[in-house]
Parts: sequence; structure tokens; C-alpha cells
Amino acid sequence: MSGRPPRPAPSGHTHFGFRTVAESAKPALVRGVFDSVATRYDLMNDLMSLGVHRLWKAVLLDALNPRPGMRLVDVAGGTGDVSLGFLARGGGAAVIVDLTPAMLAVGRARAGERGLGAGLGFVCGDAEALPLADMTADAYTIAFGLRNVTRIARALAEARRVLKPGGRFLCLEFSRVVLPALAGLYERYSFAVLPRLGRWVASDEGAYTYLAESIRRFPPQEELAALIAGAGLERVGYRNLSGGIAALHSAWRL
Amino acid sequence: MTDPTQDKAERRRSGVDPKLLEILVCPLTRGPLRYDPEAEELISEQARLAYPIRDGIPIMLVDEARPLDEEPPARPGKGADGQ
Repeated sequence: MSGRPPRPAPSGHTHFGFRTVAESAKPALVRGVFDSVATRYDLMNDLMSLGVHRLWKAVLLDALNPRPGMRLVDVAGGTGDVSLGFLARGGGAAVIVDLTPAMLAVGRARAGERGLGAGLGFVCGDAEALPLADMTADAYTIAFGLRNVTRIARALAEARRVLKPGGRFLCLEFSRVVLPALAGLYERYSFAVLPRLGRWVASDEGAYTYLAESIRRFPPQEELAALIAGAGLERVGYRNLSGGIAALHSAWRL
Repeated sequence: MTDPTQDKAERRRSGVDPKLLEILVCPLTRGPLRYDPEAEELISEQARLAYPIRDGIPIMLVDEARPLDEEPPARPGKGADGQ
């Protein structure tokens, strides 16, 4: 089971995991997944990645290099990992935009617990139609979110629009494993173990089957880099994390 | 839960961050929004849509917005999301 080769979806349709669905249906399906898993999402991330997602997010924050005058727009940042890290490291202000109110509620509760509520805004919104004025962000991040977006090119165009000239784009996402020895193991893990973890921990096997499938559907490193450049962002680069299980793409609005 | 006047005052206190309001626009038109604290809505005159604010979080989705030409809900934010 080497992950079915991604085929382009028919016009007006898109992929939801390995299913082909009407484009208009995907946001509701994605919301359903995250509404269902919101309260256990962080625990699941820890279990699924054996805690490694924390290291990946730390790499993202290193690249972001938070400064006091900086405003971050953190898209699909619901439970707050990136924004809270940004503020804890001295970032100025962050706005979390997420499609799922249940994820934002988890993020707000965590911000309150850590006393980081000031400087943090929460908005329910769509990455493809951000409810934010042009050129308002010094940095735009999307961590494990772009995969769930229906039209990636539109989301990237929105990222460019809200960034100020000189602003930084960073995308952390699952990618393609580049080490052959790791690839087979990872494949078995994500299709056999992940959905079971989902069933035990989040009582939702379907949500984590979706996760594994959506990872296979997502454009690999070079293809994503080309999409980012296609949106008019410049100096596009990426680095593989954990042998390409994840990748951090970086670009600038110049 | 509590007496309605107190409830309202609390909701206003926990209302949307003014700095956030400054950068929010209508996702459909990218036009300006007017904050209506009574109805807890963000009004886009250009789109003729009112975006609800639920638990202090603006819901900036066209699908969830109320067309301005319809009657406002009797009790915004309560039981209005069909869940």
C-alpha cells in the first residue's frame, strides 16, 4: 500500500483524503474533522509524532525570530502552539485565524493559562479569504494547515496579500520522506497505527485516516516551492525535517 | 446562567480586541466593517452581511453571516449556530 498515486481531481472537485468531493463541500468536511478532535488535538499530535512536532515547531519559531514590533498572522493556528511560542519568545502581537471555532476555544484557554492573552487575537476565518486588510502582517505562518485548504494557490495569494513588503512567509507541513529506509516504515505507521491511535485517543478513527491520506495528497517539497513562487512570493526555500516527514518552506514578500 | 444585564456587560467586556478590529475586513469584499456591540455583529455594508461574534470570536465566514435584509435573530449568539 504505497499510497495511491495522486490523480488530479475533476473540475470543481477536490480531494478530501483519498475521496474526491465537490470543492464546496471540503471546508465543512475539514471543520467536521477538527471539531471532532479539537480537545484532544495536542495530545494526538504528541502521540502521533512521538513529540517530534514540538521540535519542528521550535525550528519554525527559530526561523521566525520573534521581535517586539512584529505582528504575526498565524493561519490554521487554532490551538495556539505557534502564536504562544511566538509571544513567549518576545513577539509583539499575533492573530490566529482558524476555520474551526472549537480549535480557537482550545487556543484561548491555553493562552489564558499561560498569561499570554494580551497581544493575541482569535478570528474564525478561511485561509482562502482572509478577513484581514492588505499588508498587515510582518510574518505569516501556517503550520500543518495548508494541507487542509481546498485551493492552495488561493491561500498562498492571500498570504502574500496580507504580508507587508519585507514580510516573511513560513509553512510547516508534512511532506515526502526522502530516506528510502524510513519511507516504508513511515507508510505502515501512518496507515496502520495512526487511525488506531485516533480511535483510542480521540475516539475518531476517520479523522486520522483522513490525516494520513491528506498527507499523501499534499504536494511534495519542490512542487510546493513552485506553488509558493507562483503566488508571487520570493526567495523561496525549504528544509526537510526528520528526513522529510515534515518540511519548512520559507519565502518573502519583497 | 446569570442575570441578563450582567451577562451582557460581561460579554461586552470580553468583547473583541479593538486592535484586532482595526485590521479586520470583510472576507468577501475586503471592505470595512462596522462593529455593532449590541447585536455583537460586524457589519459589512458593501456585502450586506453581518458577521456574528460568538464568545468574543468574530466568525468571518460568508456561510455563517446573516444577510442584512433578513430579520436579526432574537438572541444573537445563543443557539443560533444550529448545533
